[in-house]
Amino acid sequence: MKEQSKSNRWLTAVLLTPTGLWFAFMLVLPLIVILVFSFGERAPVGGYAGGFTLEHYANLGARLKAFTNTLTYAPVGTLLSLLVAYPLAYYLAIKVNRRYKLILLVLVIVPFWTSLLIRTYAWIYILGGKGLPSILDWIGFEGVRLINTPGAVLMGIVYGYLPLMVFPIYVSLEKLNKSYLEASSDLGASPYKTFMQVTLPLSMPGVATGCMLVFILLMGEFLIPAFLGGGKVFFIGNALVDLFLQSRNWPFGSAISITLVVIMLITVSLYMRMTMRNSKTGVDESLM
Amino acid sequence: MRIYAIAVYLFLYVPIGIIVLFSFNAGNHASELRGLSVQWYGKALSNPFVGDAFITSLVIALTVAVLSSLMGTAAALALQRLKGRMRVLFDGLIFVSVMIPGIVIGIATLVALVTVFDFLNPILASIWPEGSQAPKLHMGYASVIAAHTLFTMSLVIIMVRARIAGMDRALIEASMDLYATPWRTFYQVTLPQIYPAILAGFLLSFTFSFDDFIISFFVAGPNTTLPIYIFSSIRRGITPEVNAIGTMVLVGSLILLMTAQYLMRERDKTK
Repeated sequence: MKEQSKSNRWLTAVLLTPTGLWFAFMLVLPLIVILVFSFGERAPVGGYAGGFTLEHYANLGARLKAFTNTLTYAPVGTLLSLLVAYPLAYYLAIKVNRRYKLILLVLVIVPFWTSLLIRTYAWIYILGGKGLPSILDWIGFEGVRLINTPGAVLMGIVYGYLPLMVFPIYVSLEKLNKSYLEASSDLGASPYKTFMQVTLPLSMPGVATGCMLVFILLMGEFLIPAFLGGGKVFFIGNALVDLFLQSRNWPFGSAISITLVVIMLITVSLYMRMTMRNSKTGVDESLM
Repeated sequence: MRIYAIAVYLFLYVPIGIIVLFSFNAGNHASELRGLSVQWYGKALSNPFVGDAFITSLVIALTVAVLSSLMGTAAALALQRLKGRMRVLFDGLIFVSVMIPGIVIGIATLVALVTVFDFLNPILASIWPEGSQAPKLHMGYASVIAAHTLFTMSLVIIMVRARIAGMDRALIEASMDLYATPWRTFYQVTLPQIYPAILAGFLLSFTFSFDDFIISFFVAGPNTTLPIYIFSSIRRGITPEVNAIGTMVLVGSLILLMTAQYLMRERDKTK
C-alpha cells in the first residue's frame, strides 16, 4: 500500500511539472520582472535602466484619465450587457419553442467564436461618416457624429461581449426547475412577483459569472476603444500600448500594469466574496 | 419578448452581414458599394503577406491547442488528488492566469523575455565554438505560443476539472475492484467521460490563439499573425480586401464549429 502511494505521488508530480514550469516562467517570472522594472529608471533611449525610485507610482496621475475611463466604462459596459443579455437568455431558456432552441442558441454562440477584431471593425463602417450618420443626414438629422464617442465605445462593448453574458445566464435559467415557476403562479403570485422572487434569485449564479467574465475582459480592453473611441475615449490598455510601443517608457508602463493587476485582484476577490455571501451560491465554476 | 429576441439577433448579425456584403464590392472604395464581384477574394488570396500571416496563425494556434489540452488535462487529473499547500498554490496560479488581462501578459512576457535574451545571448556567443555562428534568441513563434498557452492551459484545467467533478466516481472504483490497471482505468473509464471537456478546451484554445491580437502584438517579434495583419491594414485605411479576409475567417470558424458539433454528435450515436 505504501509502495502505491509513493508511485502515486510520483505520477502527480510528473503530471504537474509542465504546468508548474509554465506558470513559473510565463507568469511568475514576468510579473516579478515588471514589478522590478516599475521601480527602475527610464533609459535615455527608452527601455529600462536599473535603480530604485517610486516616481512612476507617484506619477500615475499623469494617466489618471485612462484609469477613470476604464473604471467607469468597465462596470457600465458590464451592466449594459447584462440588461441586454438577460431578457434574451430568459427567452431562450424558458419561453422559446423547444424545436428552435438549439439553433437559436448556436446563433448566439457563433459570434463569440469569431474574431472580436473583425466584429468591432464592422462598427467602424456602421458608425463612420458614410454609414448611419449619412442615413440620419438624409432623414434630416444633419451632422450627427457617432464614431469616436462614448456611445460608440459602449455599443462596441455590448456588441462584443453579449454572447459571453447570455451563455452563463442561459445555463443557470435552464437548470432552474420549471415546477417552481408553476408552484409560484399556482399559489397566486403575479408573473412579476414570480420573476422577482423565484426566477431572478435562482439565476444569480449565471448573472454573477457573466458579469465577472465581461468585467475582467473589459478591464484590459484595447481594441474597442482603439477602433471606436478614436483617441477620445481610451482605456488603460491603450495607454499601455502607447507607453510600451511608442514612447518606450518601460518603467512607467510597468508601474501602470502592476497597478492594473492590483486593482483587478482587489475588485474581483471582493466581488467573488460578495456574490458568495449574498446568494450563497457564488460564481458557478462549472460555467466558466 | 419575441420581438426583443429578433432585435437582438439583428443587432448581432447585421454588422457581420455588412462585412460579408462589402467583401463582394466591385468598386475600390471600402464604403461605397458598386456592384458585386469576387475580385477582392482573388486579391486577398494572391497576397503573399496574407498567406504568410494565415500560416503563421494556423501553426501557432494548432501548437497552442495541442500543448494546452495535453498539459491542462494532465494538470487537472493531478490536481484532483493533490491537497494542502501545493493545491492552494496551483489554484492561486490558475486564478491569476485567467484573471490577468491579456495586455499585461503580453507586456510582462515581452519585457521579461527581452531581459532574459539580452542576458543569455552574449553568454551563448562566448561559449559557442569559434568559427560558427552562435544562435541568437529572439521573439517569435515560441514566445507567442508560450504566452497564449499560459492562458489557454488554465482554461483547459478549469473545464476538465469541472467535468471530473461531475463524473461518476463509482465507475472508477468498480474498475479498480475488477482489477483493471490504473492505466486501463484511465483509458477506458476516465478518458471517455472527460473527453468532451478536452475537445471543447482544444477548440477554445485554438480559437483564442487564432483570434488573439493583443498578446501577439507584443510578443510576436518580426512575425505577423493574421489578426496583426488585419489590424495594421485597418490602421492604414479600410479596403474591401480586409472584408474578404474577415469573411473567410468567419466562414472558417463556422466550419470548425460545425465540424466539432458533428463529431460530438457522431460519438454520442456510437455510444
